[in-house]
Amino acid sequence: MKRILTVLLVILLSLTLVVGCAQKAPAPADEGKEKMKVGFVYIGPPGDGGWTYAHDQGRKYLEQELGVETIYKESVPEDQQSEKVMRDMIDQGAKVLFVTSFGYMDHVEKVAKEYPDITFMHCSGFKSAENFGNYFGRIEEPRYLSGIVAGMKSESGKIGYVAAFDIPEVVRGINAFTLGVQSVNPDAVVKVKWTNTWYDPAKEKEAAITLLDEGVDIIAQHQDTAGPQVAAEERGKFSVGYNSDMAAMAPKAYMTAPVWNWGPYYVQQVKAVMDGTWKAEAYWGGMKDGIVDLAPLTANAPEGAKEAVEKAKADILAGKLNVFAGPLKDQNGKEMVPAGSVLSDQDQLEMKWFVEGVEGKIGQ
Amino acid sequence: MQFRLVKKPEITQRQYTVIILTAIALALLTSGLFILLLGLNPIQVYLAMLNGAFGSTYRLEQTIIVAIPLVIISLGIAVAFKMKFWNIGAEGQVIMGAFFASYLALNYQDAPKPLLLLGMLAAGFLGGGLWGLIPAFFKARWGTNETIVTLMMNYIALKWITYLQYGPWKDPNSMGFPKIPNFTANAILPNFLGVHLGWVIALILVVIMYFFMNHSKKGFEIAVLGESLNTARYAGVNIFRTILFSMFISGGICGLAGMIQASAVGNTLSVEVAGGVGYTAIITAWLGALKAPWIVLVSVLFAALVQGSSYIQSAFGISAASASLIQAMILFFVLGSDFFTKYKVVFGSEFLTRGKEARE
Amino acid sequence: MKNGSAYVSMRDITKIFGTVLATDGMNLDVEKGEIHALLGENGAGKSTLMNMLSGIYIPDSGHIFIDNQERKFSSPRDAINAGVGMIHQHFKLVDILTALENILLGQRKGFLLQKKEQEIEIRKIMEKFHLEVDLKKYVYEMSVGEKQNLEILKTLYRGARVLILDEPTAVLTPQETVVLFRIMRRMKEQGCAVIFISHKMNEVMEIADRVTVLRKGQTIDTLKKEETNPQELTELMVGRPIDLSIKRLARVTDERVLKVSNLRALNEEGIEVLKGIKFDLCAGEILGVAGIAGSGQKELCEALAGLYPIKEGEILFKGEDLAGKNPKEFISRGISMSFIPEDRLGMGLVASMDMVDNILLKQYHHTKGIFVQRKPAATKAKEIIKKLDVQTPGIDHPIKNLSGGNIQKVLLGRELDSQPELLITAYPVRGLDINTCLKIYDILNEEKKKGVAILYIAEDLDSLLGLCDRIMVISNGEITGIVDARKATKEQLGAMMLGKKEDDYAV
Repeated sequence: MKRILTVLLVILLSLTLVVGCAQKAPAPADEGKEKMKVGFVYIGPPGDGGWTYAHDQGRKYLEQELGVETIYKESVPEDQQSEKVMRDMIDQGAKVLFVTSFGYMDHVEKVAKEYPDITFMHCSGFKSAENFGNYFGRIEEPRYLSGIVAGMKSESGKIGYVAAFDIPEVVRGINAFTLGVQSVNPDAVVKVKWTNTWYDPAKEKEAAITLLDEGVDIIAQHQDTAGPQVAAEERGKFSVGYNSDMAAMAPKAYMTAPVWNWGPYYVQQVKAVMDGTWKAEAYWGGMKDGIVDLAPLTANAPEGAKEAVEKAKADILAGKLNVFAGPLKDQNGKEMVPAGSVLSDQDQLEMKWFVEGVEGKIGQ
Repeated sequence: MQFRLVKKPEITQRQYTVIILTAIALALLTSGLFILLLGLNPIQVYLAMLNGAFGSTYRLEQTIIVAIPLVIISLGIAVAFKMKFWNIGAEGQVIMGAFFASYLALNYQDAPKPLLLLGMLAAGFLGGGLWGLIPAFFKARWGTNETIVTLMMNYIALKWITYLQYGPWKDPNSMGFPKIPNFTANAILPNFLGVHLGWVIALILVVIMYFFMNHSKKGFEIAVLGESLNTARYAGVNIFRTILFSMFISGGICGLAGMIQASAVGNTLSVEVAGGVGYTAIITAWLGALKAPWIVLVSVLFAALVQGSSYIQSAFGISAASASLIQAMILFFVLGSDFFTKYKVVFGSEFLTRGKEARE
Repeated sequence: MKNGSAYVSMRDITKIFGTVLATDGMNLDVEKGEIHALLGENGAGKSTLMNMLSGIYIPDSGHIFIDNQERKFSSPRDAINAGVGMIHQHFKLVDILTALENILLGQRKGFLLQKKEQEIEIRKIMEKFHLEVDLKKYVYEMSVGEKQNLEILKTLYRGARVLILDEPTAVLTPQETVVLFRIMRRMKEQGCAVIFISHKMNEVMEIADRVTVLRKGQTIDTLKKEETNPQELTELMVGRPIDLSIKRLARVTDERVLKVSNLRALNEEGIEVLKGIKFDLCAGEILGVAGIAGSGQKELCEALAGLYPIKEGEILFKGEDLAGKNPKEFISRGISMSFIPEDRLGMGLVASMDMVDNILLKQYHHTKGIFVQRKPAATKAKEIIKKLDVQTPGIDHPIKNLSGGNIQKVLLGRELDSQPELLITAYPVRGLDINTCLKIYDILNEEKKKGVAILYIAEDLDSLLGLCDRIMVISNGEITGIVDARKATKEQLGAMMLGKKEDDYAV
């Protein structure tokens, strides 16, 4: 055993020497110091066909548009390891970091304090600082539209919703979806199943199967994988995706999905940093900014849905329709938003209650 | 093809060196082919790995931060392994140590910093130690298989933290996101020379464990018991107490690592506090021949491998799975070469011709 | 290629293990129809040479001829195909199968189809060699002698005409040895070549036609039995003149040190393995214990040493009852007893540790503080090396690398160092060469002279009869008698070992 180690050590030392000598021929990571370098921290792999895929599309768009160099790290857990990933990226020359999941928030805050010269952009959170902004989109708008599609399609009046964590972001989406469903199918209910994961294809599929066993005929989701879509496909039911077009994974089930389009926003932000005009903000764009949208309806969508969706979309764009306009009641029938008023952005950001018609519990 | 394994007699230093060098060459070659498949230059990638692990003060510090828990947990595992008590439960002991320490950190936030930290260290040791005592007691009293018991207890520990994180200990200010509140500054280990104080604790432990294992009566008894239960009984060693004692120490040291990880690295308790390092440390303890000074060396090398492959991920855009694959291939060859120092393979052709001659 | 006329001929056989030259150009010729003994001290290369003849090891250089044809074996199967079979000390039989099933196991021929025909063939072989084996009996029901016969039958059935027997008598009672020798003579009459490895000079003189003496990896000489004598053979083996007689010293006192009465113990399965053992032992006396292997000797020793649970009975050591106490309590009470266990590396010593740590094993309880003190142990180790002439590269060398004799010397040296009043030795000369045996007998006599009471468990009746004052025979957990070693005969002991109670011995 000792001998193994001795040999290993010798080899390592000699390799270190080689590196030392080869220092003048820089490793690719050290190339192009002048070039702007942007880092992306991903919660899943870019191939997830969902959340991270959408961000990675944005990253590629950014590279293409501005010619900046980007680095990324996939499947980073939402804990202290993410801090290390951020520091490593800064060590490798990144000047702007896009950190793309809610759970990174406190870690971004911590690292942002350590590196005041670096620009941090955190997706879906609510904290900020001088060099640390947050950004998100009103995905509720296309979710509401997807609810219309689901509500029209459902025959049993029961719709399943596979959801990640009971944080406001997800709760908001469920409520918006349910309101969309009820706008066309007032008696329908939306059953919620929590998975406590963002990215776990097997577990998320499992949750969808449980819902299907409970009699739902449409599956919607707030997850980063297409697991629930596959479950609906296998059972011959229908589904609403999320993040990106999921038609390929479930051609017979998939109807539409609320999708993200991060590219233009990323370009705009990085440009601002390069120009020195960047300022920390809490960005929350809607359909009219193009950051969110509803994917084209497939042939699986019910007849007349296209027209209904287009009408609602036009109303939203025109400011005539607000998803969280009163009157809104919670699950117990208590009035939360009176008629004539609209839920404030702050209340939306902290939303911790379900609207009437949702079957599920928060804070389990 | 027909082949057999034949046990080798003791081999010379020269043969040994050849085997190890071959293993390393093969490791670099195979992963090199893989890297080529990814469309990258293997030599550049290898150099980048070294660069990523040792290339700057920052990177060296990061490598040390990865090495700290490896060193400490390996030291703990070595105590049990020396006794041939196969403690696969370091992961769980780390978690329980972190849990005990976190209890103090979350409930006595206003205690003076040195007092709180010392208390947390003691609690971490106690938590890991008690968790280690359970399988030790089962083994000593009923002869249960410690490998299985310790392994299963890892899951219990993990699920316990999951329960806390999603339930009673969930941060009320996290808007529903399942995390335990961050420790206050009082409960966080300060930095010393760029890296958190854990490295000092690790080095002190290395010295203590060196003397404990090599020069103390208990360490001697543990070694005797590991070699032969009968000889230990013959020599008047109290088997029951020795098993319990050494597992308390083994688990306790792992628990210390849990406290350090929670306090200095995570700044709170989470299900990821051990993050598999309790299993990795089994490899480093074993490669370090269960000897304290070697454990330090192996752990640093191992940390460098981890850091290096993390670095190439973002530097070359290699996926996490591919980077792990390269890491695993290197390990596979180095660990696997140990087999060829003990056995040799006789291949079909030789075997058959000899047999044929004999039958003629 | 032709070479001489001997049936088995091994020429210039060299084998190196790591850095150790195990056999250095050895030669051996064995004829058909002869019993050829291989004599040599431990490490002389007997087993290595035979393992090469039977295909277990492959020689680094040299040639093996069987019936004038050169052979290269790479497995025991190759060897058996060429007609060479070896009966090892440890039998390779499956306990839960019958004798017949064991014989047929691993054969390439059909297993079930031709069972009947094969059984007929086997019975023919049994008849030819006068072998008696109950083919329907399960191996776990067999005595050691029966198992050995089965091994021989198995080897003969596979076509062996050259039989190698590796110390076959070590595990047998005198009666069983007689049976074995009859079978060996029968093999010889049938034209087999029989190679007999042994330590025991008297057996070699009884059965062998020719004797080849090996020493330190070299062939020293091959002699006809009629033309030599034990003295000459021993001197060839050892390489210098030697006195073979075992001395028996007169007893000096009658002071009783140990009194054991009604000692009973159960094994893990709850079967009684010690059935009311009763005996006395005096200062300056060597009490021998004879018995077939596994008759309760091990349990008796361990019970006395506090390592085996006792059901009932008394062990009075100088008036103090030791029953139910463990070694730790012995140490704290200052019980002056030393125990040389049968399994030296499994119980008495730690194989992977060096001499210093092995000596420390007995000392560390007596020093103060939490640290061990290796200095005194190292001094002691050097003393033992000098006093007992231990051959070792150094005190910090793992003892597992020492030869059996040197390991035993380390153990004895350590145990005697504590100046015990009672010494229990289980098979202290097992597996050791004659030179070391004599040295150990001398050491025991030395202790006897000092007034130490010695319990001497052994399998070799010659040494028991030569060394002891009295011999106690144990059979199936019971004492069948205690006899005066000056008057006892081997036949009498053999009968008692099989369970015949001595007339004047009342339980």
